[in-house]
Amino acid sequence: MRNLFPRWSNTIPLKFIIALGLLGGAVVAAITYYATPKYTRVGYQPTQPVPYDHSFHAGQLGLDCRYCHHGVEKSSHANIPSANVCMSCHKNVKADSPLLEVVRQSYFGEDSNRDGKLSEDEDLNGDGLLTEGPAVPWVRIHKAPDYVYFNHAIHVNRGVSCVECHGRIDEMEEVYHAKHLSMSFCLECHRNPEKALRPTSEVTNLAWSVKADPDEDPDLAQIHAGLELKNNWGVNPPLSCTGCHR
Amino acid sequence: MIKENDSLPLLSGKQYWKSLDELAETPEFRSWVDKEFPEGAELLDNVQRRGFLKTMAASFGLAGLGMSGCRRPEHTILPYGKSPEELIPGIPSFYATSRPTPFGFLPLIAESHQGRPTKIEGNPSFTIAGGSTDIYSQASVLDLYDPDRSRGSFSREILRKGDESSVRWKKLSSAKLASEISNWSDSGGLAIITDSADSLLRNELIENLVSTGVKHLEYEAIDPHLPEKTLASSLGVAENLRLIPQLHKAKKVLSLDCDFLGNREPNSTVNSRQFMSGRKVLSASDASKMNRLYAVESDLTLTGGVADHRLRLPSSRMEAFAALFYAEILKLQKSKDSNLISHLLKIGGDSEFDRKWISECAKDLLSKSQNSVVLPGLHQNKNLHLLAFAINQSLGSIGTCVTYLPVSKRSSYSFEDLAIDVKEKRISSILVLGGNPVYNCPNSGLQDLLSKVENSAHLGQSIDETSLHCKLHIGQSHFLESWDLGYSWDQSCITPVQPLIAPLYDTISDIELLAAVNKNTSSSHDLVVAAYNNLSNTDVAFDDFLRIGIHKIKQSFKTVFPDTSPFLQKLKPANLQLDESSLEVLLTPDFHTWDGRFSNNGWMLECPDPISKLTWDNALLVSPVFAKHLESKYPGLGLLPKPTMLNKSGQIAPDAAVFDDGKQKAPIVTIQVGSDHSITGPVYVQPGLADFTIVASLGFGRKHTGRIGNDLGYNASSLTHFGQSRILTNASCVPTGEFKTLANVQEHWSMEGRAIVREANAAEYQSDTSFAHHMGAESHSPPIYGKDLDKDLVFKSQTTPRGNSSYEHPDHNHEKSEEHGLHQWGMSIDLNQCTGCSACVVACQSENNIPVVGKDQVLRGREMHWIRLDRYFSSTQRDGAELPSDVQVSFQGVACMHCETAPCETVCPVNATVHDEEGLNAMAYNRCVGTRYCANNCPYKVRRFNFFDWNKRKTDELYEGPLGDENEPVTAMGKNPDVTVRMRGVMEKCTYCTQRIQESKIRTKIKAQRQKTLKTGNDGKDLILERDELKVADGGIKTACQQVCPTDAIVFGDISDPTSEVSKLKSNPRDYSVLGYLNTRPRTTFLAKVRNPNPRMPDHAVSPHSAREYHDKAHPSHHDEEHSSPH
Repeated sequence: MRNLFPRWSNTIPLKFIIALGLLGGAVVAAITYYATPKYTRVGYQPTQPVPYDHSFHAGQLGLDCRYCHHGVEKSSHANIPSANVCMSCHKNVKADSPLLEVVRQSYFGEDSNRDGKLSEDEDLNGDGLLTEGPAVPWVRIHKAPDYVYFNHAIHVNRGVSCVECHGRIDEMEEVYHAKHLSMSFCLECHRNPEKALRPTSEVTNLAWSVKADPDEDPDLAQIHAGLELKNNWGVNPPLSCTGCHR
Repeated sequence: MIKENDSLPLLSGKQYWKSLDELAETPEFRSWVDKEFPEGAELLDNVQRRGFLKTMAASFGLAGLGMSGCRRPEHTILPYGKSPEELIPGIPSFYATSRPTPFGFLPLIAESHQGRPTKIEGNPSFTIAGGSTDIYSQASVLDLYDPDRSRGSFSREILRKGDESSVRWKKLSSAKLASEISNWSDSGGLAIITDSADSLLRNELIENLVSTGVKHLEYEAIDPHLPEKTLASSLGVAENLRLIPQLHKAKKVLSLDCDFLGNREPNSTVNSRQFMSGRKVLSASDASKMNRLYAVESDLTLTGGVADHRLRLPSSRMEAFAALFYAEILKLQKSKDSNLISHLLKIGGDSEFDRKWISECAKDLLSKSQNSVVLPGLHQNKNLHLLAFAINQSLGSIGTCVTYLPVSKRSSYSFEDLAIDVKEKRISSILVLGGNPVYNCPNSGLQDLLSKVENSAHLGQSIDETSLHCKLHIGQSHFLESWDLGYSWDQSCITPVQPLIAPLYDTISDIELLAAVNKNTSSSHDLVVAAYNNLSNTDVAFDDFLRIGIHKIKQSFKTVFPDTSPFLQKLKPANLQLDESSLEVLLTPDFHTWDGRFSNNGWMLECPDPISKLTWDNALLVSPVFAKHLESKYPGLGLLPKPTMLNKSGQIAPDAAVFDDGKQKAPIVTIQVGSDHSITGPVYVQPGLADFTIVASLGFGRKHTGRIGNDLGYNASSLTHFGQSRILTNASCVPTGEFKTLANVQEHWSMEGRAIVREANAAEYQSDTSFAHHMGAESHSPPIYGKDLDKDLVFKSQTTPRGNSSYEHPDHNHEKSEEHGLHQWGMSIDLNQCTGCSACVVACQSENNIPVVGKDQVLRGREMHWIRLDRYFSSTQRDGAELPSDVQVSFQGVACMHCETAPCETVCPVNATVHDEEGLNAMAYNRCVGTRYCANNCPYKVRRFNFFDWNKRKTDELYEGPLGDENEPVTAMGKNPDVTVRMRGVMEKCTYCTQRIQESKIRTKIKAQRQKTLKTGNDGKDLILERDELKVADGGIKTACQQVCPTDAIVFGDISDPTSEVSKLKSNPRDYSVLGYLNTRPRTTFLAKVRNPNPRMPDHAVSPHSAREYHDKAHPSHHDEEHSSPH
């Protein structure tokens, strides 16, 4: 009986398996690369309603992070400053800048003549109070999922600097997502907190690094200093689910 | 003829059971307990499954369309323009406020997240309640976010189309309406109808109006002021006399139909706390000092459940009982007033009461006469209140453990007066201020009056039965949106009602409306400030008063009373006999809805009634004796369990007439009272009831309350009469032939009668304090801790001792080992302190965003409560002839036990439930894939599965899946932002309030680090923090159930600290683990219950009934020698 299939068809199963393997590998590789926070989050830089320049305010002027993000030491949220915080300077500095119009509107609201008092024609909604304007719609850059309960206060108060998660904000003209903040990122640090610990006075000093001898590896110096802090302070970050998921 | 129930074995009847069906081992019960997940999702019938698949296909299709939306959606953060003072986003604020109730203002602390009140707690400054609250206060926050609340004010327009007319509501401005109403008193007579809150401010405003000729009518379906009025009039005293028990001083208490621990009496939180403090038993010497409770009652109440001796007696016979009891007291006191004694005996009549019960109880009360008290029930008639007063007087306990507080008289204007005034055109406008009198008092004739007057308006939280009869409806603000000032029930303090949120809708409070009627333009805040400043002795500034939430005032109790005997001489014997054809009906406030005010509150409706375990319905409770009578007269009713029956093919064949899908159908009956009034509702057999008493609860059967509460249960309010007793006689009961399925959670999660609740009498406990260790299977097996049995709790909590197991526990790596945790959490629940009030159930629901699932899902066994209260009955009746009537009640709160060797963890395929380093059995929702293996493997049945998106979808559209409507957004406002709102398809369970634990740990660490930095000036490596400095102080974390508990039955803390409260309790010999022999090593353990019966009483038994049942089962061979027949 004649052969039904030509000879070359003998290799089809092998080729098929190899192709399938390659395809599978490509899918896995693509998902690993494209579908993880490293790709989806890092570099996210939305346009903000006010082109607030962190590198100028925090970098050149040297404003402390906590001047605006004042809840960071007390609360789980680091809070985005309300318009009155901006206006505490910008009432006088660049008071008429068109870029700040959104902030001024939010701050003054019904107070159209901006005298701090409610005149008769100002009470637009008729509630007898000086109502503030619409909130400045800042676009959220860093967002933990709803089932993650990240607490800023405990990190900042126990010597973990802002820079560990947010990067060199003081060098960013417009803030972008610098680190991937995935669960492995969190756990990496929770397993080895010594890599991140620093004296609490240096937490908002984003340029700080541990003083190392010239011949010492700076990373190693940080680990040595961090270990000391970890032991002396009793730093014991949770590694189990309840630490972050409630 | 009354049929014998052959399913009950004759000699060794089951003594300890949860429901009548279990007692009888009916096939339905057997098949129920055999199913792991009662009525699981896999039982969806074909049609539903097909629909489900279709829906899923559609949603996948939509997901494909949405691929372009892969980018993260843009989120905005909206900060304030001008940030309010003291507000830090992420940190909740706490404000003192109070809840106005008919039983006075309850001082509270409300938690607010960025301006949204989410949780209610008791105000700890109100020291006699110790920071605890009742169940209704816990649930009241849900009413604020009720989507069916009235969202403004409306005028009623009737549209007529031919013969049909329909009602349309036209929206109006509340402020404008208020000013319109303020003109009513000018244009003619105005009558104001209010409920009876003790508001200082409201009384003042109403008094002003009354002085200008406005009429004020006060009504309440459950009138809390009737006894104080009638007692004063019986004694001829000028002021009303309010009975305030001081139960922390009481040693012997006799309750005459008085549910002072439950929802029917005022001040139950304080009463429970004070009374149960006398039952704390930590050592043998405490047991000799335990107080003792005698309860004589017709219905089985929570008080009757706690009682050491309980006598079933019809409410209408209570007066005769009290007279005999008083006669006995007088005889024992060797009183010379033989006239009075013989008169009392005459009132008592030759009744059927157990004389020995009375005489021994009287002797016992007299043995501590100054610390003995008799408490009469609120619903009882004036003669009983007079008799109880007389007994207390002769016991000499007035001034020690019972006090009488003179309170001002209430308005005496009645509905009859109003009818006359309307008829004679003296009243042309009626303003109903809060409450729902048309529903609550249907016999008052108010309905007609409202249609006769020119103007009528109703201020209410929703458009209800009363609104339908008024021309105007004004939306009422919730108490968390209003200002007020009022008295606590015992008038020991004045407390503010402080708004936490501006009114969500265009609503006004009763104070604002009254101020408008008074033509007073001040805001309600200014009125409260003025009223506070007018009080005497206010050395605290108003703002500080708001912070504390309490302004203490001195109670001046009345101490001098007239001699009662002349008044008692006037009492006439009222000898009426009850039987099958002449029944008694007792009207009580319903556990779920109280008088109907919580009828649209899902938390209250779904929280099982602690005794009957019914949800979403009320039932007519009847005694087993009467049920038997009914069944013999009307065969096929199916009230009592049937013997096990198999059909020809050997399958279980439940009586189709009685069971619907395995659920017991309750026959609907009509209760006819007198000739005019009748009610129709389903019957439920309740052991512990007086034989011929039917208990009907008020507050259900609402027609206009909201989408949740409409048409639930039956309406008993047609039997009420304003200002009259809630005990009705001469009733008859006839089945209608119809049936109704009741959503009863009683048979769910059964523990099958093992040594689950362990009990002993005080005498037994004194001779063997570790009796709990000699019960349960673990007392017969080799000790699970093996060689480590005698090691202390610290060692046991920080390691996992191998015990006798040949299996080596896995060696946890450093990350997971118990030593790694700073604390080891544990809980102790004192069964001796639990009254069964169920406040913990709702507190947990409020704290942990637990959804309401609806009656349909409860019938499928899918209720979501993380903590449940198991209620067990036990009885002495051993002849098996009929269902037991005299039962002992035991409650046990069961939540996740946080087992150290948790069976749920080993079966999870995705590690969604694992242990954390502090001993919590963690549940990671985002990891759970919903296999439900964990729930199958949990011996305590505490895991709850989200079969649907309960939080997201409307309860009546669950089966439509993603196509169903979403819940109104307003309901999301009440959620606790610190707890994940779980989605469909994930398992959940008690977490020991892990959000509170994490929050406290974070606070403690921050505080320690900052303080030490400030103190030492070091912020680097020279700063040394000790382990102890980082630990949360004992008592620093209170779980939601612990915080709400009035009796401190629940204690939570660090068991690796031997000095902590919970460690001390766990080392008490009464401590035991439920199902300990399974080697689950639960972190929640129980303290065994100790009862304190009087050995001389005729119904005394050496051991609690449940303990006897355990011993009968564990040592069946000793059965005959140890326990001969009872008594």
